[in-house]
Amino acid sequence: MSTTTLTHDEAHHHEAPKGWRRWLFSTNHKDIGTLYLLFALIMLFVGGASAMLIRMELFQPGIQLLDPDLYNNLVTNHALIMIFGAVMPAAAGLANWMIPMMIGAPDMALPRMNNLSFWILPAAATMLLLSFVVPFFPGGGTQINTGWTIYPPLSVQVGMSMDFLIFAIHLLGISSVLASINIIVTLLNMRAPGMKMLKMPMFCWTWLVTAFLLILVVPVLAGGVTMLLFDRHFGTSFFDAAGGGDPVLFQHLFWFFGHPEVYILLLPSIGVLSHVIPAFSRKPLFGYNSMVGAMIAVATIGMVVWAHHQYTIGMSLGAVTYFMIGTILISIPVGLMIFNFIATMWRGAMTFETPMLFAVGIVLMFTFGGLSGVMLAVVPADMQYHDSMFVVAHFHYVLMPGAVFGLFAGVFYWLPKWTGHMYDEKLGKLFFWTNVIGFNITFFPQHFLGLAGMPRRIVDYNVMFTEFNVISSVGAMIFGLSHLLLLYIVIKTIRGGKKAESRAWEGAKGLEWELDSPPAFHTWTVAPQIK
Amino acid sequence: MRIPEYQTPELRRKNVRLAWILGGLALFFLVTSFPFWTGIFRIVGNQAMQ
Repeated sequence: MSTTTLTHDEAHHHEAPKGWRRWLFSTNHKDIGTLYLLFALIMLFVGGASAMLIRMELFQPGIQLLDPDLYNNLVTNHALIMIFGAVMPAAAGLANWMIPMMIGAPDMALPRMNNLSFWILPAAATMLLLSFVVPFFPGGGTQINTGWTIYPPLSVQVGMSMDFLIFAIHLLGISSVLASINIIVTLLNMRAPGMKMLKMPMFCWTWLVTAFLLILVVPVLAGGVTMLLFDRHFGTSFFDAAGGGDPVLFQHLFWFFGHPEVYILLLPSIGVLSHVIPAFSRKPLFGYNSMVGAMIAVATIGMVVWAHHQYTIGMSLGAVTYFMIGTILISIPVGLMIFNFIATMWRGAMTFETPMLFAVGIVLMFTFGGLSGVMLAVVPADMQYHDSMFVVAHFHYVLMPGAVFGLFAGVFYWLPKWTGHMYDEKLGKLFFWTNVIGFNITFFPQHFLGLAGMPRRIVDYNVMFTEFNVISSVGAMIFGLSHLLLLYIVIKTIRGGKKAESRAWEGAKGLEWELDSPPAFHTWTVAPQIK
Repeated sequence: MRIPEYQTPELRRKNVRLAWILGGLALFFLVTSFPFWTGIFRIVGNQAMQ
């Protein structure tokens, strides 16, 4: 290790700045991580409120609270807010907080760009929320009734709210790409001496793959919505059959982004699991190298199977066969990851603190979501399930356990490190059980609704679907309200509680646990040596 | 804050260079993975023909 001598000016800047300037001008990875997490928490509640409104409307057949266009707008906004506002920023928050501490770097490689990546987000969120609000004003045009996929020709016909949405997507894309560049540069150039690539913590590996995915697919979405903007305002016909264009082109562009996006949401949580499960099983991760390989395989195959979302558009037999086989192939590396997690737990000295409860919950429920994914990958079956509530149940079983529960596991796992306090374990477990039970009551019945023929994205439904919808809506209220408990636990932990040790969990391994809890404002100013 | 061990001019150059390469990759995907520019050129070409 080398020694460093700081000048007076440099030593002065070691203290955290005070007031609003600390946050607005921050280049500190921990502060920016906190901002990302706070932003994600706020958006989780905004997106959650829209979900609860949707389920209130579907509590009974007939129109209760919302007119059809407003209902569809809520469906659109719920998806976009949850994906771009809650899950991605939360994962970026974890990355900002943990990656430099895990690799022994003092900060992200490009700290000022880090600040820019975050502060674009509130602007994008404002645009996104404006897209919801403007139709309520005179001359504001129609609601965005397209769903998050914003397929033309419907999206060409929507009012000015669609323009707000397109610009919001542009801003979100810029933010994501800048953040991804920063993460890749940090991971490739800023690792402590001796930390070879295959010694990197698994969370860092998952983020490296995720960041590459983002750089490859987000620009394609940006291109797609730019073409949409041109079709709407500048007389082009990219997606207009009457002008020689093709609306299906947009679907290809959207899903070229949209399917890898699923892995972008999942992989950081897989990374969290790769730390949580070994820590609470008190064993090293089983099959580190195979996990890295599986992750790269998932990302690679995941980029070339997008059209399984579009089986019903009428592709050639060869094309659908390719996309079907490719999609089913993904289950092999994903299965390998799951088996690695189970093998890590096998004969471990397991304890079930809240992060581990979420981890075990993920292994069970994400696998279930994956299995219904294999069902949907099969072309003739998908022809039946397409656009039904079965699809809604499937992707919520993939994304809630696969992405969101992983983020919850990460928050509970690292909260003692961030705040210096242990969270209330009883409340943590209460949150887990209410959350998981609420989730299953909400989404499990939707499989049956879909199989019985209830379409998705409808404000009203046949009375034969009432019972399962009632159960689903009651579950949604439990599920939604349970998140208030999360908010309470987080605030309580920040304000005080039992002091956390440097190594807050007995089985936790890694450089981040060598640092104080909470860590100093600047950490690893002298690089640790990795043996 | 400057951290002498890490913020050497060489490392900074290396970081910025890699960032530009990755930015270029993103731009490449933006421009070439869809027929946006070909469409623009076709429109311009058609208008020029008229």
